[in-house]
Amino acid sequence: MAAKPGTASTTYSPVDPTHKTKPSIFTDSDWVRPDSRGFHQCRPAFFRTGAVNSASGSAYAEFGNTKVIVSVFGPRESKKAMMYSDIGRLNCNISYTTFATPVRGQGSDNKEYSSMLHKALEGAIILESFPKTTVDVFALVLESGGSDLPVVISCASLALADAGIMMYDLVTSVSVSCLGKNLLIDPILEEESCQDGSLMIACMPSRYEVTQLTVTGELSAPNLSEAMQLCLDACAKLAQIMRSCLKEAASAAAEE
Amino acid sequence: MGLPNASEDLSSEMEVDAFRRLFPLRYFERHLTESIRPDARPLRKARDTTIALGAVASADGSALAKIGSTTMLAAIKMEVMTPSLESPDEGCIAIDFHMPPICSPIVRPGRPAEAAPVLSKQLSDTITSSGMINLKELSLVSGKAAWMAYLDIYCLDADGALFDAALLSAVAAFSHLKIPVVSLDYDGKIVIMSEEQKEENSETKPVNKEKRKLTLSTIPFSLTCILHKSYILADPTAEEESIMETLVTVVLDSSGQLVSLYKPGGSVLVYTSAVQDCVALTRQRVKELQNILDDAISGMEID
Repeated sequence: MAAKPGTASTTYSPVDPTHKTKPSIFTDSDWVRPDSRGFHQCRPAFFRTGAVNSASGSAYAEFGNTKVIVSVFGPRESKKAMMYSDIGRLNCNISYTTFATPVRGQGSDNKEYSSMLHKALEGAIILESFPKTTVDVFALVLESGGSDLPVVISCASLALADAGIMMYDLVTSVSVSCLGKNLLIDPILEEESCQDGSLMIACMPSRYEVTQLTVTGELSAPNLSEAMQLCLDACAKLAQIMRSCLKEAASAAAEE
Repeated sequence: MGLPNASEDLSSEMEVDAFRRLFPLRYFERHLTESIRPDARPLRKARDTTIALGAVASADGSALAKIGSTTMLAAIKMEVMTPSLESPDEGCIAIDFHMPPICSPIVRPGRPAEAAPVLSKQLSDTITSSGMINLKELSLVSGKAAWMAYLDIYCLDADGALFDAALLSAVAAFSHLKIPVVSLDYDGKIVIMSEEQKEENSETKPVNKEKRKLTLSTIPFSLTCILHKSYILADPTAEEESIMETLVTVVLDSSGQLVSLYKPGGSVLVYTSAVQDCVALTRQRVKELQNILDDAISGMEID
């Protein structure tokens, strides 16, 4: 009855043979994005805090088909093996559901995401405010629809705010994909799979400070500066949405 | 615990929250004598329950079930397998229950919750033995190809009665399941039919034109109760489960027949009358859950 890993390899997901020709459309000069957005237009963003009651703080984020939940636990006792520390520790983990990707259990190996999330948030959190203890940030990607890591980073900072962890500012993150000559902001999975290069920025918009900048693949110098500016502008707008989400939650709590 | 009388004396002067944390059992027993629970429920009432179908776009069938704040997300992905020699015209179902670290402060990455594999097995046993799904309906080409339905249930928020919520999300996901139309290609592989192929009526014929939805003959529903002294508490929260340890889970199908009954240990020995009370409570609950599921399904059909 139950499928053990050994038998799982004998099953396959039926594919649509007509799908294989898709990427060629990106090379045309006047193509539109699959979800008919403008090149410099982000997907509508939805945030909600308090998604998980058993956590100290949590947030759910939905950008198109990308859906993530982040829970924050603590500050709580650090593991016994750890040394005494004057400042708090931050522990991050990102996992994917088996149905997050189009083919079951065949997501790209995103092991590096956990440490990237850690690096993106670390600079924004006032670790001195919880010495000797650990704050755990756990993320679950329910559905992977592209730009997973930037969505998780933004959602995680919102969950940290919901948990009442002291921060210098919210961290917001946006990525840009470069396809040929075009820069596409907030790429979906299909666009990410055939990109030439990409840039991701995580920043604290009110302080105008970047906590993480990642560039992969091919990006020309003029494209690079344009992409950075695009990301920073989008991050500032995202921060407004996240702030209004926090304000709504706070005013709803005050009414009760 | 060494000072049973001290708590009595302290209760008058201590703050409620402190009393709840220091003497949880006494705190609960005080409520029980008043026939009320800390969340203002009567003893035998389950929490508010909701079902949302089609929560995961990338899956063939999915559902989100919430009982109080316990949240379960179930999704089914259909894959093709070669059926075994013993049952050439039967498909297969693989059920997995996951407790990711987001769901509870107890679970940490790399250290999976003990409860997860236990629940996985219970769910698998219940769904198989209830006879809800006729595995013959999952057959595509006898002896050559059949569906393997991978059902994955994720606990997004753990606040007690995990089995009830998981089973509810699982049956809801099965009732939402839409099997894709497929055909055999020249290599003998199963491929998805595109929209054009369906209209063209070309030489490629769909293998499963009729079997797009599973007929769920009887649907299993469950209710977990806590037994404490002579009290029966339906649908416990995580806090209640941690304080009072004797749990009884009754699974009935939609025609009222008993599918399974779990009483995993606990300090209270159960009398037949208590078990009968649990079954009676479950019978009422099955009707409630059936209505909630029917509402969710009819809501989908309008869209």
